[in-house]
Amino acid sequence: MAEVKVKAQPPDADPVEIENRIIELCHQFPHGITDQVIQNEMPHIEAQQRAMAINRLLSMGQLDLLRSNTGLLYRIKESQNTGKMKGSDNQEKLVYQIIEDAGNKGIWSRDIRYKSNLPLTEINKILKNLESKKLIKAVKSVAASKKKVYMLYNLQPDRSVTGGAWYSDQDFESEFVEVLNQQCFKFLQSKVELSMEDIETILNTLIYDGKVEMTIIAAKEGTVGSVDGHMKLYRAVSPIIQPTGLVRAPCGLCPVFDDCHEGGEISPSNCIYMTEWLEF
Amino acid sequence: MTQAEIKLCSLLLQEHFGEIVDKIGTHLIRTGSQPLRAIVHDTGTSLDQVKKALCVLIQHNLVTYQIHKRGVVEYEAHCSRILRILRYPRYIYTAKTLYSDTGELIVEELLLNGKMTMSAVVKKVADRLTETMEDGKTMDYSEVSSTFCRLADTHFVQRCPLVPDPPESADAQPPPPAPTLSINEKDMYLVPKLNLVGKGKRRRSSDDDAAGEPRPKRPKQTAESKEPIPDDGIYWQADLDRFHQHFRDQSIVSAVANRMDQTSSEIVRTMLRMSEITTSSCAPFTQPLSSNEIFRSLPVGYNISKQVLDQYLTLLADDPLEFVGKSGDSGGGMYVINLHKALASLAMATLESIVQERFGSRCARIFRLVLRKKHLEQKQVEDFAMIPAKEAKDMLYKLLSENLISLQEIPKTPDHAPSRTFYLYTVNSLSAARMLLRRCYKSIANLIERRQFETKENKRLLEKSQRVEAILASMQATGAEEAQLQEIEEMITAPERQQLEGLKRNVNKLDASEIQVDETIFVLESYTESTMKRA
Repeated sequence: MAEVKVKAQPPDADPVEIENRIIELCHQFPHGITDQVIQNEMPHIEAQQRAMAINRLLSMGQLDLLRSNTGLLYRIKESQNTGKMKGSDNQEKLVYQIIEDAGNKGIWSRDIRYKSNLPLTEINKILKNLESKKLIKAVKSVAASKKKVYMLYNLQPDRSVTGGAWYSDQDFESEFVEVLNQQCFKFLQSKVELSMEDIETILNTLIYDGKVEMTIIAAKEGTVGSVDGHMKLYRAVSPIIQPTGLVRAPCGLCPVFDDCHEGGEISPSNCIYMTEWLEF
Repeated sequence: MTQAEIKLCSLLLQEHFGEIVDKIGTHLIRTGSQPLRAIVHDTGTSLDQVKKALCVLIQHNLVTYQIHKRGVVEYEAHCSRILRILRYPRYIYTAKTLYSDTGELIVEELLLNGKMTMSAVVKKVADRLTETMEDGKTMDYSEVSSTFCRLADTHFVQRCPLVPDPPESADAQPPPPAPTLSINEKDMYLVPKLNLVGKGKRRRSSDDDAAGEPRPKRPKQTAESKEPIPDDGIYWQADLDRFHQHFRDQSIVSAVANRMDQTSSEIVRTMLRMSEITTSSCAPFTQPLSSNEIFRSLPVGYNISKQVLDQYLTLLADDPLEFVGKSGDSGGGMYVINLHKALASLAMATLESIVQERFGSRCARIFRLVLRKKHLEQKQVEDFAMIPAKEAKDMLYKLLSENLISLQEIPKTPDHAPSRTFYLYTVNSLSAARMLLRRCYKSIANLIERRQFETKENKRLLEKSQRVEAILASMQATGAEEAQLQEIEEMITAPERQQLEGLKRNVNKLDASEIQVDETIFVLESYTESTMKRA
């Protein structure tokens, strides 16, 4: 005759109860709780049961597992994510975690591989899965056009990846730059002094064009446009000399200058540029 | 002495002094210092001709001589001085603007004759001015003399070095093979006290009026020439360095006027005028001038208050151009003009202008960028200039092939592997300036050659027109009728006349262009000289 052993369970040794208690504890300490804390709360639960409950919560995606210098930490996960991750397995969750941590700069697939120690084929499968679930997206980087970085679906790519205002669809918007160049110059010509921050790079190109000069003056903190107690002022200027004499002669602009000598195929006597210029 | 310079010197000597002088001069430029015998031997011309050619060159300050050891006299040609011949029109024009027609003619005579005594200059200029005046009026010698004195006071003309007086002790030493000329600093601008009295003489176009008195006149003329010239031995020449200083000041003032306004340029002009005599032409800074002094020396027409002047000076000192600097606070603020920086800025502006005209404004933007930032990587150039990568690369390589930009390699590893080396673009201003200077010389040589070619092409026509003019002139003098004059004039047909017009226009254009390129040469040469002296 088999003896039915009925284990007398303590009142709150129900696995669901344990999990709920753990979740409550996590809510109480949003920064995370260690195993020790759980043990203190529920001293009568065996380690095995505790471990099982924690694992269940982790696999359900309600808890986050973090490592700190004191040991392992369990942290409550944001509730909206738990809905998304249903049906994904651990590996996908891991990859998703890594991509989330990369923020709006995105992360390259090779880096994901290093961080997760998963083989390349697995990674690719997972990335495809996540993309189809619209959890992540791939963004082409302007630095290396073949490289794709992955980031969370709803994040705005960072300036360094897309190149900021001057790039649209990964192509350098040269016409845009030209137009702004002209506009800034016209704007500065009418105003005497002006200080701006956003289009400093465009203003620098005007400086390199020789149309604008910049001075730095000491300014009080708090005035518009001041950075570290300085303010940059821009002023439209005209060039200090007229176009120089050499370029007024045809020889100054001649493309075949080095081949020209008296008695040769190209010489001053039969120079066509000179003939044209003389008839002007 | 680059090939381009030698070619240009040869063309100039040929045009102004003839074939033989050209041959001797070019030979001296190519081979450096040479004794007389060597010149005769190498060029294959007779001793007599070589001597005459050397006389001409020495008279015009293009060749100097020196006694070397063993008593050999060597002659050396100065290429840079020969190139100044291009600038003669500019010197004459400057004299005209400062001292009106009299000054213009004085400087012209001095430049064309190399060295002259004061009395000879005064006489000649008075004669020339009298001819242009209305009938009955003549130019007085005293007026010309006073202009001459003013030119000497402002250092535009100077005395030539003299033979020093022989020592009192008659040692019966044989005279040296060549005199060593020297001049005292103080005496350089000392005008001799001459009593030049007289008026300019008009040259008669015909001898009829003087027909009655040719005999008595001739002995008188010979008697005149026998009189000893009071200032014999004191020769004068034009001081080209002073003219260069003036050009430099002019370009600095106009640069300030372009960048700021008229008043600031006037202030800078005043400061430069005050430093004219005190600062040597190759100093990097002028002497410090106090604000009070500047205020006192401002031209009469400008009534700006002391405060406004101080404000202007502060603005000039703070300007990014850095032409004016503040060197102290005594006397209301001591200010200097940074001559070297000013020349460097002008030269860089010239370089930028050349790049802009030849390659386009985006290339000019890249050039200015690399000039300001000194060393840049390819990627940085693209970022700063905001030019797409492919185009930026193309432009950088074009500038590289023209040697306006150079590459500086900085290896990361000892084996200089290209993948592990930094390549930085940089502009070497001195070498770029020199390269463009060479191009200028060649351009002027081309222009001169084209001008000579155009003249040669139409030689026949020119000769014909000259003959017709001579006939016309003589016929007018003998009082011919209108009909006859018209007939002669019609010898030149209408299309020929048009051709002549076209020729004149072309020659003028080429001439003007030579002078314009010479302006570029002036800026670049001043910059290279100033940089070499500092180094």
